[in-house]
Amino acid sequence: MIELTDLTKQYGSTLAVDHLDLRVAKGEIFGFIGPNGAGKTTTIRMMAGVLGPTEGTVRIDGIAMEANPEAAKRIIGFIPDRPFLYEKLTGMEFMRFVADLYGFGDGLFRQKAERFLIQFSLYDWADHLIEAYSHGMKQRLIIASALLHEPRVIIVDEPMVGLDPAGIRMVKDLFRELACKGTTIFMSTHTLEIAEDLCDRIGVIHRGRLVALGTTGDLRGTALLQEGDLEEVFLRLTGKETP
Amino acid sequence: MTLFGITMNELIDLLRPRFLSFKNVGDSRSSGNRRIRYLLFAAIGLAFWVGAFLMFYRVLTYFQGIEEFGDVLARKLLSMVLLTFFSLLVFSGIVASLSKLYLSRDLLLVHSLPVSGGKIFLARWLESTIDSSWMVILFSLPVFLSYGIVYKAGPFFYMTAGMALIPLCLIASAISALVVVIAAVLLPAGRIRTVFVFFGLLLIVALIAAFRLMRPERLVNPETFATLLLYLREMGTPGSPFLPTTWASDSLNAALSGLKGEALFHLSLAWSCAAALAIVATWVAGAFYFKGYTKAQTTAEKLFPHKNGLRGTRYPFFEKISGPAWAFTVKEFRTFFRDQTQWPQLFLIAALIAIYLYNFSVLPLGQSKIRTIYLQNIFSFLNMGLAAFVLTAIAARFVYPAVSFEGDAFWIVRAAPISLKTFLWVKFAVYGLPLLILAEILTVSSNILLQVTPFMMALSVVTVFLMTPGVVALGVGLGAAYPDFQSENPAQAVTSFGGLLFMLLAAGFIAAVVVLEAGPVYQVFMADFHGRSLSGLQWIWLIVSFALVLLLCILAVLLPMRLGERRLRG
Repeated sequence: MIELTDLTKQYGSTLAVDHLDLRVAKGEIFGFIGPNGAGKTTTIRMMAGVLGPTEGTVRIDGIAMEANPEAAKRIIGFIPDRPFLYEKLTGMEFMRFVADLYGFGDGLFRQKAERFLIQFSLYDWADHLIEAYSHGMKQRLIIASALLHEPRVIIVDEPMVGLDPAGIRMVKDLFRELACKGTTIFMSTHTLEIAEDLCDRIGVIHRGRLVALGTTGDLRGTALLQEGDLEEVFLRLTGKETP
Repeated sequence: MTLFGITMNELIDLLRPRFLSFKNVGDSRSSGNRRIRYLLFAAIGLAFWVGAFLMFYRVLTYFQGIEEFGDVLARKLLSMVLLTFFSLLVFSGIVASLSKLYLSRDLLLVHSLPVSGGKIFLARWLESTIDSSWMVILFSLPVFLSYGIVYKAGPFFYMTAGMALIPLCLIASAISALVVVIAAVLLPAGRIRTVFVFFGLLLIVALIAAFRLMRPERLVNPETFATLLLYLREMGTPGSPFLPTTWASDSLNAALSGLKGEALFHLSLAWSCAAALAIVATWVAGAFYFKGYTKAQTTAEKLFPHKNGLRGTRYPFFEKISGPAWAFTVKEFRTFFRDQTQWPQLFLIAALIAIYLYNFSVLPLGQSKIRTIYLQNIFSFLNMGLAAFVLTAIAARFVYPAVSFEGDAFWIVRAAPISLKTFLWVKFAVYGLPLLILAEILTVSSNILLQVTPFMMALSVVTVFLMTPGVVALGVGLGAAYPDFQSENPAQAVTSFGGLLFMLLAAGFIAAVVVLEAGPVYQVFMADFHGRSLSGLQWIWLIVSFALVLLLCILAVLLPMRLGERRLRG
């Protein structure tokens, strides 16, 4: 469902993403972890079509992002790490804006928007300007609006930042449910427990290169560890172990 | 050393981020780019500066040629100029203090520091005084220079001018800060931004009233007064002794006449008032600033709140139509009109348009020795260019920053299944249509006031119809080519390199269209005037010129839009 081939991004003299090759299957929850500045957000932004690569290609369900960005984006739900929205719109107006962008009808929109707003505990705030929302509420609104058009692929950068424990539980359950129905989820996170708990496979990126890929068990093998949790594996693979 | 209870070190500490940011902005750009930018700024500034100097010099020389009451006229003009400067200072002071004291993003950090609200106020007040005054001071200098040269004044006059301007700025800024601090406490929570709307409205009323009362056209038209004595009395009436501008103009007049003692007396009035107001403002702020700041942190309320339930159809027209382009159109309207900081600018434009049209209604066409019909049509032709320049100024404020206004939310555009091309054309349409209507209203109404021929009316309407999309596309395209998504106030983007480039290109485009049309239009007009038809060569000239105008207008739309799209994608 997601194919990254030779994906590279160079900012001046800095190589942020270095010839990355990766395949993510339909219905898979893929975790993308790495230290700060490893190239996670850059990769995710290139996948979402928000940033153009220096080299390489991104294919979403067979559609090349560079050749046909609108078609590719139509099947993606993108959730960025920071919830910047149009502050002068109300929550409901923002949902409507997104629905119009993805082009679905009024009757269907109302039904879906209400369902998501209730699910994300935003129903009572639907007519308030977004500038009145807390950080967590904005994050919930972004997630709700990204799911509105029933994307086949969800690309999410730090999904749990700003969410309260109930919100985290709800999003985790929702992602599992969506994956069961065939939605592919690609998420980057610093919360290793979530990656371990939720993801079918995990990729570790370090200095722009994919240094390990597989299940937690596979990664343990790559890190030459007999036992230990993902945190230990991560620290070993990225060379950040404390002596 | 302490200033109103704050030590110099504390003050410098609070202002340091501003100095460092200013310094680092310079460092972060490549030196070549920076040099071009500075040169462009300097060239435009110098052009305005020299233009203002020459205009005042010419007017004052003309006044000096009028026996008996030339000096009276010059003094009246000086008091008018000072009153205009002071009004501008108060208005920009209100806008600057409101943002610096209540709306800046860094206030959260500043208020978490172990510094009292009063001290924060003082640092911010000084910052907003400089922000709101430097440009007025800079552009007032040619006025004083022209007075000094025409009246052959010595160094004492120039020193007085400097010493009169500073308290004027401090007084205006202190009044603005006081008004804002008090308004923040008195207004209901979440209504602080309504100050923008209120003062915007006040500004339009004040501007129109002041202009109507001053009637500057009378300065050059003594015939409208019944007697010379009445005219002289009217012109020589001193201003109110309680107005800071009166102290400033009295000190300057005294300095021009060589009366040093009198000049110093009026200066001391201005300085003592500035000091007293600064103390009062600091005291009031010490008591109320933090209270008002706390209130301002509440959610902003809509200017016109409405009950818009989940099923409510507040805008049925919007609700019925779907599609990505329409989604952006609706979003653009909503975000624009809900941003209350935009409103004073809209009111200001309304006031300026009213004054613009008023000027046409008082043009002394009948008194000229040149045939009125000739003058009317000359004015009408020039008015096309003038209307387009007005349009450029409005576009610089609203259209050029339109892409930057997306700010941090620009990721939504990038992630949306919509091309950047469509996004930019939506911006073009949203801003282009109202500006086209505005430009046509300006042109048609001024032509009606001038009672021009049907040919001139048709020519103006068609030319403005062709030029407006070019100006708007230049604004959208260059705004997209040089976006600033990080800016706290994207409206200020017009003073950036891209903004200046936009104004230069737009001015060049308008000038090119006017020059291309001038020749053939003159031929048509003269042929009509002498009752003969155009020769074959004149027809060719006319067709080629208008074809070139059409081509230029099309290119002015397509090229900047393409450039903007390409740069934005990159």
